[in-house]
Amino acid sequence: MSWSLFLLRRLAALVPTLAALSVLVFGATELLPGDAVGAVAGPDATEAERAAVRERLGLDDDPVTRYLRWAGGAVRGDLGTAYTGGRAVHELIASRLPHSLLLAGLALAVTVPLSIALGLWAGSRAGRRADRAVSTGVLLVAGLPEFVTATALWWLLAGELGLLPRVSLVPLGGSPLDTPEILVLPALTLAATGVAVGTRLVRSASAEAVASPWIEAARLRGVGGARLAVRHVLPGALAPATQAFGLITGALVGGAIVVETVYGYPGIGLELQQAVAHRDIPLVQGIALVLCAATLATVLLADLAARALDPRRGSLR
Amino acid sequence: MEPLARRTLLRSGLLAAATAVAGPALLTGCGSGGDSSAPTGAGPRRGGTLRAAFTGAGAGETLNHFVGGTALDMVRARALHATLGDLDPSAPDGVRYGVLETIEVDEELSAYTLRLRRGLTFSDGSPLTARDVLWSLSSPADDPASLPVYRNPASTFDFGGARVEDDHTLVLPTRAPLADGRMVLCQGNYLVLKENSDFSPGTATSGPFRLEEFAPGEGCLLTRNEAFSHPEADEAPYLDGLELRSLPDSDARAAALTGGQVDLAHDLSPVTARTLRGDERFTVTSTDPPYVSGLFFRMNLAHEPFRDPRVRTAFKLAADREAMVESVFFGDATVGNDLLGPGFPDYADEIEQRPFDPDRARRLLREAGAEGMRVTLTTGPETPGMVEVATLYVENLVAVGVEATLEELPAGQLFADYPAYARLPLAASFSVPTPALPLYQMSYGARNPAALGWDRPDVDELVATARGTSGEESARAGLAAQRTLWEEGNTIAPVFKPFTTAHVPGVAGVADDLFEQFPGFSRATLS
Repeated sequence: MSWSLFLLRRLAALVPTLAALSVLVFGATELLPGDAVGAVAGPDATEAERAAVRERLGLDDDPVTRYLRWAGGAVRGDLGTAYTGGRAVHELIASRLPHSLLLAGLALAVTVPLSIALGLWAGSRAGRRADRAVSTGVLLVAGLPEFVTATALWWLLAGELGLLPRVSLVPLGGSPLDTPEILVLPALTLAATGVAVGTRLVRSASAEAVASPWIEAARLRGVGGARLAVRHVLPGALAPATQAFGLITGALVGGAIVVETVYGYPGIGLELQQAVAHRDIPLVQGIALVLCAATLATVLLADLAARALDPRRGSLR
Repeated sequence: MEPLARRTLLRSGLLAAATAVAGPALLTGCGSGGDSSAPTGAGPRRGGTLRAAFTGAGAGETLNHFVGGTALDMVRARALHATLGDLDPSAPDGVRYGVLETIEVDEELSAYTLRLRRGLTFSDGSPLTARDVLWSLSSPADDPASLPVYRNPASTFDFGGARVEDDHTLVLPTRAPLADGRMVLCQGNYLVLKENSDFSPGTATSGPFRLEEFAPGEGCLLTRNEAFSHPEADEAPYLDGLELRSLPDSDARAAALTGGQVDLAHDLSPVTARTLRGDERFTVTSTDPPYVSGLFFRMNLAHEPFRDPRVRTAFKLAADREAMVESVFFGDATVGNDLLGPGFPDYADEIEQRPFDPDRARRLLREAGAEGMRVTLTTGPETPGMVEVATLYVENLVAVGVEATLEELPAGQLFADYPAYARLPLAASFSVPTPALPLYQMSYGARNPAALGWDRPDVDELVATARGTSGEESARAGLAAQRTLWEEGNTIAPVFKPFTTAHVPGVAGVADDLFEQFPGFSRATLS
């Protein structure tokens, strides 16, 4: 299959997937208790005030009409207006998403090389003591809730050793990069889970590659150690691992709610948490939709990278 | 007789004499821990930028405090805009004026004349006039997005009939005769903005600070407003700057304090506060009544068992209030007496404290045929301690033979569907510091949905009389109304919790700003 056909097929699949996700996002916010009237008019509002708010927000329309109106706006880039402050939702997302992307990028910069190194090392020794140690270790880390990992890192690096700031306060009017030290703890916390998941996936792909005839042939030719791992095992494991990293990246961008809340880092995760707490439904819907789109985009990029590494992937079967 | 005399004196403007009679309890609202009041001796230290952390909103945060209900919104607004006045039981009128010199009330209690101090200006040098005051009070009523607290003055005063007599005199007619109008206007949250303010960062301000930098959802940096004139302290504000940070999580605020990233952390959870109390590097202060938040439960009178007053009394007697104070707040809270607004001058503190009497509760339930009744208490973590107090209360109910269960909703959901909330059989809630009688009229009387079925025109009338008269008549009506609420009402208010703040020892003068639930910094110093 040609690259253009491959890309077209993937993009064609994205549209209905995103549409289905938008229905899920809209439906989920519809299922939240109460409606927007309570959030906008306040608990003390009279029936007349509630009716006025209901009419102003168009909440008297049926859910299908409201979904079509919202989705139509989203297609045009208009995600509505946030209840809190009355600013455009896309502006609010644009002010927070770069912070989370930066954090996810840093976490990924730690996750990818560490996962590959550990996964390759363990996969090349599948079934042996080293493999069992690595596999058990990453399984433990993967099983830890993020707030536990965050608390442990916080206690050690900020509390006991005093090396890092305890809270990620971005300089007012500045960027997180102005004080890079505030990024370390949240990035490490995110990376811990990413490394655990990534290592398991790379280890699995590596173990599969190690058992293949071409690795056996290489061994018979006298190739071993690091050379065998890097030159022969890694290329075979890299394509599936790349797709796994795509999924991890999506999770890093969207899954930073706990980490950003614990460290007070003003990213999209903290914004989503606050939007839910304040029942700012347009903002919740907008952020959820953008995160879905971001995840799909990273998965697509990972698919493209995997195909570049292994052209057999994505061929017509 | 003493408390009755005190309230009478309050309304006739002689509270200074009354405080000596009524005892120190009335004065507890004036300070909350000596460590945060102004230093004495050599005079306040000037300079420095104080950094403080509060609960704030997200990226959608604006400078319009009329629509922003977070602690940071209120603290920032009070730093930027001068207040009309604050409640101060020790002051001659029961209030301490800000931009006002006096508030005069006519004989019929139907018109309030607000007189402004001379020579006040905004940060851009323009004069602060009576028109600005009128606009600041009346404009929220025209905006449906405004918070109820800012729309409330419009239900008390007829702004359409208001007269600006000159730059320094504003006459506000009342909608009905009103004796406690000073208390309504000078609660600390009514601030003076320039007429037709658009709340943009460049807007001129009248408060002790002006805006330097504003990052929505992250915080703001303020610098001293040289044009500000403090009514009592000529040199104030003493700080060069103020950095207010938004940190929605209580633990994150405490971590920022212990890590040296802020000097003051506001509204800490009971556990965090207890931990910090054991750390000599920090000073922990808790507000006293009236600056406390009531945690209460309301019985829905639409549900059959609660229509019987014996059941309602039993539910009140079942609450082990001391245990709640001790185990949830480690002693740092106040036992409630099923009435809201303790510490305010109109609160009926002469009514005896309801005891914890599970035996009598059990007996009353048996007499009412409600033994073994089933009920679910619905609550949510809307403020620290709310779920924990509800958990203990359910245990209290089970102990007197009620088949009680607890339903805990996720944060932000308890009040989200208000019609559904108003149908709950037994619902948790919390109050913010508000005088008792205005609070009744705002959220309990006249079949308000928040009252969960309480419908007593006779009590509404008593409250209206109390607020619409002065002297003995007012005091008697206020007491009678609250006595009926205490005996027959559907509210169980077992605990009033303080707002707990921790700061580094060098911070002082915060408590002098009154309105302690949201710290003010007009007289704060940092050393």
